[in-house]
Amino acid sequence: MSSQLNKYMIITLQIVLLFGFYLVGGFLQTTFALPVPGSVVGMLLLLIGLYLKWIPIQWISKGSSALLNHLPLLFVPVTVGIMQHLDFFSGKSLWLVPIVLFSTWIVMGITGLLGQFLANRKEWGK
Amino acid sequence: MMLLQMVFWLFITILLYVVFRRLYQLLPYPFMIPVLTCTVVLVIVLKSFDVSYDTYFSGGKWIDALLGPAIVALAFPLYQQRKLLNKFKVEILATVLTASLLGILSGYWLAIVSGYNEKIVSTIISKNVTTPVAMEVASMTGGEPAFAVIFVMIAGIGGAVTGPWLFQLLGISNFLGIGMAFGGASHAIGTAKALEYGQREAAISSIGLSLCALCVSILGPIILKWVS
Repeated sequence: MSSQLNKYMIITLQIVLLFGFYLVGGFLQTTFALPVPGSVVGMLLLLIGLYLKWIPIQWISKGSSALLNHLPLLFVPVTVGIMQHLDFFSGKSLWLVPIVLFSTWIVMGITGLLGQFLANRKEWGK
Repeated sequence: MMLLQMVFWLFITILLYVVFRRLYQLLPYPFMIPVLTCTVVLVIVLKSFDVSYDTYFSGGKWIDALLGPAIVALAFPLYQQRKLLNKFKVEILATVLTASLLGILSGYWLAIVSGYNEKIVSTIISKNVTTPVAMEVASMTGGEPAFAVIFVMIAGIGGAVTGPWLFQLLGISNFLGIGMAFGGASHAIGTAKALEYGQREAAISSIGLSLCALCVSILGPIILKWVS
């Protein structure tokens, strides 16, 4: 029971640390008007911290795994926001749905084929 | 009353997620991904009980608050796969640039051909990158940020759901192809799906989503100015 409690304490503390990186990332993003979101800036900062061994991997591994295991849940509150735009899916705008999907398939298909080709060439080509 | 509502919607969201995650494990069809099933059920429930999104979000925001730290947490698979990323750095940059350009140009071209106005065209070019960047590009170029959110959602969920079929159709099974396709076309929602494939796919997808966001935020406005 106490080790179980301990495990949740560790996860919570690690998520607090990740939250700290997120806040610093957001601060840098607004201060320097960076073109990428604060969360991505925070991710790059953490990556640098891990590379330079300022942050031992054990400080974030449990918290990161916990968040990433449930990543789909974290999108739900935002995606439910679609309910405010349901009228978008009627009338002229509706045609934009297949356009966005088709364009997304073009990106996925060609990027996927290119990535596979380049990776295989590297592994077996030489 | 407010507090009760907040706790209620927070609880319902987590409960639905637990149930649909279990269901997805039992029926692992791509269209059963929890982000889609939970969203559909919640929208139906909220609409039928006439609950506003603001009321729902008073509870949902506690989950949403963890999304930022979760994106930060993607540094974990990136760090663990650092040897792989270093080995394939040229290939990664080439595919990032390809994905970014394809997203912008195909969106632009399809919207123009279908006769949409500049506002839609400016909004659609950034649909394959993460929401804050897409909204920013839209507002910078005279697009509509509210529409950007919808396009990003369709690209994210649509790509995560149909990706496995597309890969099968085109014979894509390599980690770099799958990871970059998910990260470059379907941003963080695609990366959540890439995590199902494995650590290597997730690492490529994470680096893809960050670099494509950077690329599109710079290239989007330039290309738009250049073509018009």
